[in-house]
Parts: sequence; structure tokens; C-alpha cells
Amino acid sequence: MRPSFYHHLHPPTIPAPQSRFLYTLGAGGLSIYLSLVVGITGILEMFYYIPTPDKAAQSIQSITFLVPYGAIIRNLHFWAAQLLVITILVHLIRVIFTGAYGQPRRFNYLLGFGLFIITLLINFTGYILRWDEGVHWALTTGTNLVKTIPLLGDSLYNILVGGNQPGPATLIRFYAFHVPILSTFSIILIIWHIFRIRRDGGIAVPPPQKRSNFKRITRFELVRREVLAILIASILLLLIAALFPAPLAAPISTQILQNSEAKAPWFLLWIQQLLKYGDPFIMGVLVPSLIFLIIAFMPYIFPPPPPQELGRWLPKGTLLPRIITAIFFLFLIILSLMELASI
Amino acid sequence: MIKRFLLVSATILMLTLFVVVWRTYFQITPIPITPTLSGETEYCITCHTDVAEISPSHPVETFGCVICHGGERLALDADLAHSTMRGGKNPSDLQVVEESCGGSECHSGEVAEERDHIQRVKTTIQATYAGAITNIRYTYGAQKYLVAQQGIFAIERETAREKNPLSVDALTTFDPVPDENPSILEFASNCLYCHISASPDPDAQRDNSRFTGCAACHTPTIGKDINNSDQDENRTPIHQLTTAIPYTQCNTCHNQGNYNLRTMTFDYRDDKPFDRLHDYYQPIAQFTRCEWTLDCADCHTRHEAMGDGNIYSNQAEQEYIQCRTCHGTIDELPLTKVLTDPEDIAFRLSFLNPVIDLKIGDIIIVTDRGEPMWNIRQLPNGTFEQFGKASGQRFTFRPVKGTNCEQDLDQQESQYCHQCHAVER
Repeated sequence: MRPSFYHHLHPPTIPAPQSRFLYTLGAGGLSIYLSLVVGITGILEMFYYIPTPDKAAQSIQSITFLVPYGAIIRNLHFWAAQLLVITILVHLIRVIFTGAYGQPRRFNYLLGFGLFIITLLINFTGYILRWDEGVHWALTTGTNLVKTIPLLGDSLYNILVGGNQPGPATLIRFYAFHVPILSTFSIILIIWHIFRIRRDGGIAVPPPQKRSNFKRITRFELVRREVLAILIASILLLLIAALFPAPLAAPISTQILQNSEAKAPWFLLWIQQLLKYGDPFIMGVLVPSLIFLIIAFMPYIFPPPPPQELGRWLPKGTLLPRIITAIFFLFLIILSLMELASI
Repeated sequence: MIKRFLLVSATILMLTLFVVVWRTYFQITPIPITPTLSGETEYCITCHTDVAEISPSHPVETFGCVICHGGERLALDADLAHSTMRGGKNPSDLQVVEESCGGSECHSGEVAEERDHIQRVKTTIQATYAGAITNIRYTYGAQKYLVAQQGIFAIERETAREKNPLSVDALTTFDPVPDENPSILEFASNCLYCHISASPDPDAQRDNSRFTGCAACHTPTIGKDINNSDQDENRTPIHQLTTAIPYTQCNTCHNQGNYNLRTMTFDYRDDKPFDRLHDYYQPIAQFTRCEWTLDCADCHTRHEAMGDGNIYSNQAEQEYIQCRTCHGTIDELPLTKVLTDPEDIAFRLSFLNPVIDLKIGDIIIVTDRGEPMWNIRQLPNGTFEQFGKASGQRFTFRPVKGTNCEQDLDQQESQYCHQCHAVER
């Protein structure tokens, strides 16, 4: 069989032990697939979404209730975006727990982390684009947090909000961030990230002299596995989208926050909980930034595992970064659950 | 092996896609209307197909639903669609009435044309409840004079077209502090069910179901359980506004019983009336035949019920219709006027409730405060015909002048007329 264009995006062969699902969890590939779904459904939504405060929430109601297949497309966009955060996190954890972040992959790890941050930002800006009472709290709190940053706060707030309080300028800016700016960044970073995988020698494996298993699979087999994963993911995504509608609320009517029970988007619940413990700058900006920075620069702080330990889970010599990561994630999950449980 | 998995999962995906597409064929088809007043399409009637048009003055093609009720006009999800409705099922509640029914083109219109319904209603004794509040506060020493100072809500200034010397300029909110006289506190907690901002007493022993605000009077609710919207015959939500208001609607507040000033509770009347004669008034009341064969609204005017913009201290100042308004005295005929102006408000009122075919040149009775009794017309022989606003029934009566009536000119209150004319029950 002659390899197709899609086959050519893959290396001719890759090591069999590192291509197993239980090793990669398929998380990187699924993230790319979900990004594609989010992109395509997002483009479709752009035909109906109107980024003005008086029309935004209504246009989403139109998409949901009136546009043919609008509801399923919006639900796919929403759920693919939520799952994307999860698959990227799983991918991040896989890379840390297999010690695959060491040289020469340090820089690609940073690129991947950048993609993670961009995904969170796209997700948050997309959330705000609903411009309804369900996101009112997040909009107010999120933008006010920016203000607390010493020296830069006010100017950053102005850049983000376009005035002294959220209004039409804010919505169009969030639209600009969500659609052209952050999406372009993420496309560039995705391509760069994939390019660097090939450039850095493919998936992390021990050097040939230290390998016990020399089996490899062809790109044809790899593509078949990919397609299978995509098919299964599509079935699950479609089912979730068909059964669980994306959230929707009444348009933001006044500047006053009406719903005191409002929640941040789920992936920021931990920050909402942190804010209850002290100064908004320290708890809402400094602590989260520190956590992100430590995870981002992990390959630069901790030594990589010895080469013979590469290509498998829990390699020797990487206990400390694993423990730190585990503690961070446990901490974030507990905080999020606490926030979720509080009224 | 993997090829088989591929085949199976591709088949399942196709099936899932098919089901998702197939499901859309079973979704409700949205039914749009685009009312001419707002020009914005709304989909409420997709679900609310069986709601009757509220009144001929508010045709659905012109008003739609959202202009009065609020709500999310595009949402086909009940919770979302209803989340921003004004006043729940009653947009005429006084808290939201300005948004729902107001506006200079609607019921917050020109004072001169008497289109300022909302402003007037807010000053009326039925809304302020200033009469009861003033009396109680005066009785228990919270105020020195029997002049209204407080009402259910504050009114910054009266809005009367003609200021009545009896009226006061403003009211503050009745909000008794805990160290106030215990009777006033009891009154505040037990006795504030009978103004049009309050929902009726839930423990009432008689049918008192009514809405608040405009709908308290203009939506006929008697015999209907307004808190239950099951599609049962008597329980369907009442979607009607009318100026043909029967006495039964007035009796959701009035004639229910009496205050017990010692216990500061309400004693419901305990008779079980079986006909109109016995149902109309409480057993102790004295009244004449016309007082129970007509409906309250046949004699009591708009300014009496809905206010004239003046803030009065009690019901007696706002209610001014007497027997002589229609019957005159032994010396004088009732006040009348000839309808010459096609813009006369009498025509507007009879257009809304066409029980009488008023024409230019007709002579109708007017009150001594100048309100038209548009449902009473003088006949060529000097007698009068009156049409029941709710019943449509025609009655005729003659003036007192020229009869053998032995009235004293200074005794025009109804109690004096009742001495001879009261009916027996």
C-alpha cells in the first residue's frame, strides 16, 4: 500500500512498546483530534454568534433552539473543549510520570505547557462569550483579579476589558482573543509541538544498546490505531453532546451581580476556593502562577531519568517531580471539590 | 483484529450519528410570532398554544407575550424561557407593573387623557392601605391625627390632575419597628392581606383567590385555583383582562368578614350564602335593591377604585358616589352632560366594554367630581337607563325629584335612604 498524505504525517515506524495505548493513553493524539472538533464546530458557530452584549446570549439561544443542528454543534463545541482540558492534563501527567520531559524534549515540554495555558485561556474566553448570568460572576471576578496585580494591573485590565467596567468593548475583545488570536497561537504551537516530536527523535525510548524489545510498528498500523481511537472518541463525544446540553442562562441584564451562587468554570474552581483564604492577588494570581511556573519549568529544575529508564511508566530517579505533581493535582482537586460543595 | 474493531466502531459511529440526526425530527417545531409593537420574533406559543388572547385591546399579533411578561423570547427550554419573566405569572404586580404595563404609549400615559393608570393606582387607598394603617396607628398612639402618614409603600408625591384639599402630599413606608405598640405589630403581621400588593390570606375560610396589582381586579379569578396551573377545567391559568368586573371579584377582598380590633385578627363571615342577595354583602349590612342587583363597578367609578392621583387618608375620602349621584334629590336632578366630543372619555370606556351604544348627542350622568357615568343614559321621558358593566343587563330608574320621597336635603348618606328603601333578606 502506498502511504497517503495522512500516513506521511507519521514516522515510517515507531517502537512497539511505546506505541501501546496503556503507555501513551492516547492523550496527545486525542487532544489534537478534539482541537479539530472544537475548531470546526467553532467556525460553524461563528455564522450565528453575534458578539454584542445585547445580542450575544440571544444568538446562542438561537443556535441552541432554532438553528438546524445548532444545539448538537454547540454541545459538541462545548464538550470537546471541556474534554480537551482533560486530555491535555492527562497527556501532561503521562509525560511527567514517564519522565519523557528530559533533554532533548525540554523545549517541547514547554511548548506543550504553553498549549495547555492557551487552551485554558481559550476555554475561559469562550465561556465569557456566552455573556449570560451564568458567566457573570466569572467575568466580574476574573477581570477584577487582573486589577490586583501590582503596577501592571490597571493597564492589563484596560487592555482586557477596554474600559472601567465590562461592556461591549470587553465582549468584542474576548471574541478577538477567543477566535483569531488564541486560536492562531494554538494552531502554530500545535504544528510546532508535532514538528518537535519528530525533530527530538520521536517518542522517548531508551538508546538502542539499552533496549530489550526492538519491535516496531509501521505507520499503517499506527494510523489504524489512531483512527480507532478517533472513532471511539467520536462516539463518546456524540453521545455526551446529545445527552447533556451545554449550559445556558438568561442574558446579563445589569452590571449588578444577581446570582450569588455563581461558580467559576470547573477548571478554575480551585482558584475560586483559594480566593476565600486571603488577599485576591496572592490567592488568585500569585499562588496559581507559582503552581503553573513550577510545573512548566519542571524539566529545568529536576534531572531527567537515566536513559535506560525512558519509555516506561514511573522511571527511577524521577520520584520528586512525580510527588510534587501528584501533590499539586491532589491539592487542586480537593480545592475544586470544596468549592463545588460550598453554596 | 484491529480491522474488525475499526469496522465495528465505524458502524457504531454511523448508528450514533443516525440516531442524533433522527432525534431532531422529533423535536418540537418552533412556532414564531413577531408582534408589531416590538418587531422581535418570539417563540412562546410553541408551548403555550392554548392560552386565550388576554383581551381585545391587547391582540397577540400586536403585543405578543414578552412585552408584558418578559422572559427569554427565543428559548424553547421552559426553565430558561421563564427565568426572566416579570412578576412570575402576574406581570401586573405593582413591583413590576411599570415595566410590564407602563410606558407613555400605554398605561403610564398622559395625565390629561387619564392614561396614567399606574401612577393613579399607586396612590389609591386600595394600594396604599393608608386608611387602615392610619386608623390603627392613630388608635394606638403612633400618630397624632387621623391623617395618613404611612402606606404599604412610600409615595414621594401625589400625581393628581386636580389636587383634592383632603389629600396628603406623600407617604412613607409602613414598617413598624419592634419597639412599637404590640397591637400595631400584630396588625402588621395579621392584617395586611387586603391591599392589591399583597397575596390574599392563605388561611382564608372563603374563596379569595385573586392576583395582585392590576390583575387583582381586572382578571376574573373567582372559583379558580390560581396557584395551580394543571390543565384541569377550573384550574387552567386565567389569561384575561377585562373592565367588566363582577361583584365577586371585589368580594375577594371586600365583604369577607371583619377585623377584630381586640385580637388584631380577621373574623371571616360564617354564613353560607346560596344566592346573590345573600352573597353580595355581609349578613349585618343594610342595602337597597340596586345595590345588590347591580355590580359594584356599575356605580363606583374609576377614580374611586383606581384613584385620581390624590393620596387620601381613608376610604371615605376617596369614595364619593352617593344615591343622589344618579337619583338626584327632591330639589335637583342628577348632574348630566350631553356627549358632543367624539374624543370624550365616555366613548373610550364604552368601547372597551360595549354594553351600551353611546352616540353623539346622548345625555349621560356625570358625578360631582366630573367623572362620566358612561353606562347610564337619560331617556326622552326624563328617566334613565343603566347597563350592567359585567352583566350587560338593562335597568331603568327615575330621579327622586317629583316623587313622594320624604328625604331631608341634608341627609344624603346611604343610611338615610336605607331607612325606607332597604331590602329584607
